[in-house]
Amino acid sequence: MAKKNARGNDEVNGNVNLSPMIDCCFLLLIFFVVNATQITVAKDPSVKMPSAVSCSELKDANGCIVVNVFSDVDKMAPKALEKYNKAYPANTLWGVADANGNTIGYNSGQTQELTDFIKKQKENLKGKGLEDSKVRLYLRGDMAAPWERSSTAIRCAAAAGVTNIVFGTLPSK
Amino acid sequence: MARHKQIKTEEQEDPEMNISSMIDCCFLLLIYFLVATSLVSEKKLDISIPASTQSSSSQKPPVDPGRIVLRADGSVTWNGDLTVGDAYDPEAQPGTSEYRSQRELDQLVEQLKNYKDLATSVQAEPIVMLTGAPSAPHQRIVDIMAALAEAGIKSVGISTADPDAQ
Repeated sequence: MAKKNARGNDEVNGNVNLSPMIDCCFLLLIFFVVNATQITVAKDPSVKMPSAVSCSELKDANGCIVVNVFSDVDKMAPKALEKYNKAYPANTLWGVADANGNTIGYNSGQTQELTDFIKKQKENLKGKGLEDSKVRLYLRGDMAAPWERSSTAIRCAAAAGVTNIVFGTLPSK
Repeated sequence: MARHKQIKTEEQEDPEMNISSMIDCCFLLLIYFLVATSLVSEKKLDISIPASTQSSSSQKPPVDPGRIVLRADGSVTWNGDLTVGDAYDPEAQPGTSEYRSQRELDQLVEQLKNYKDLATSVQAEPIVMLTGAPSAPHQRIVDIMAALAEAGIKSVGISTADPDAQ
């Protein structure tokens, strides 16, 4: 009888400490969320993206030189205009972001500067071991922007040696 | 005194909180927000400009490049005379049949597919020359690019001449 009693004292409540499991779960969840996040390129909110009927996923943003093409300021939504005015000098037609994330605006008289920027970006990408054919111009043109501006950006890219062009779009509704 | 002390120590147990229900709530909220946040991701349309080295060849290509002209009003023509797209109305509401018929350049896609078949039959790469009016909206160019993508043509030459001035 006494033996039985001693045995009963040994039994402790079987509580499982859940906190390490939660830590692991959250860590895994965050890992998957971060990995699954679509590949993004630097997006400028001032650009109202055009939509395309048949477009494909941008699977690899590596090698993309992003150039934003703006519409006329009177065609911009108030919020977009506010952001545009904050980020770029007046009369900016093409907006880019450098390696540090600082925005640079080019106006109609600065096509050579835009070419130089693309060339520099291309050299940087090549320096990182990227093949020439993988360097692309990612053109984020505003849907209302005149074609002249987009074609000028393409011409600048061609002058800088970038002949692969990617048109940024949104899926059609 | 001793008796009183003993009772007090028995009451002092480690305060344990059952956090499993809190975790349930946290996960539920997290999943809700993940699902509810609709991330509209940008898509792409690839084109490739024929490099200058390709055009330096004096040999005439087996098939003439197809020519797409976009006028300032947004109308699209194929090889000079065939109108394959109506004038562009930026006010057209998405979802309407008018919007769809304006945006989907079905006739152009058909012509491009025929042209591609013709080019591949003689083992040539289908190349399309695109001439856009400087004031034409970028959206219309994207519509044409979508038609090119649908037809499977990736090599596009871009002309800077103004078709409305010709």
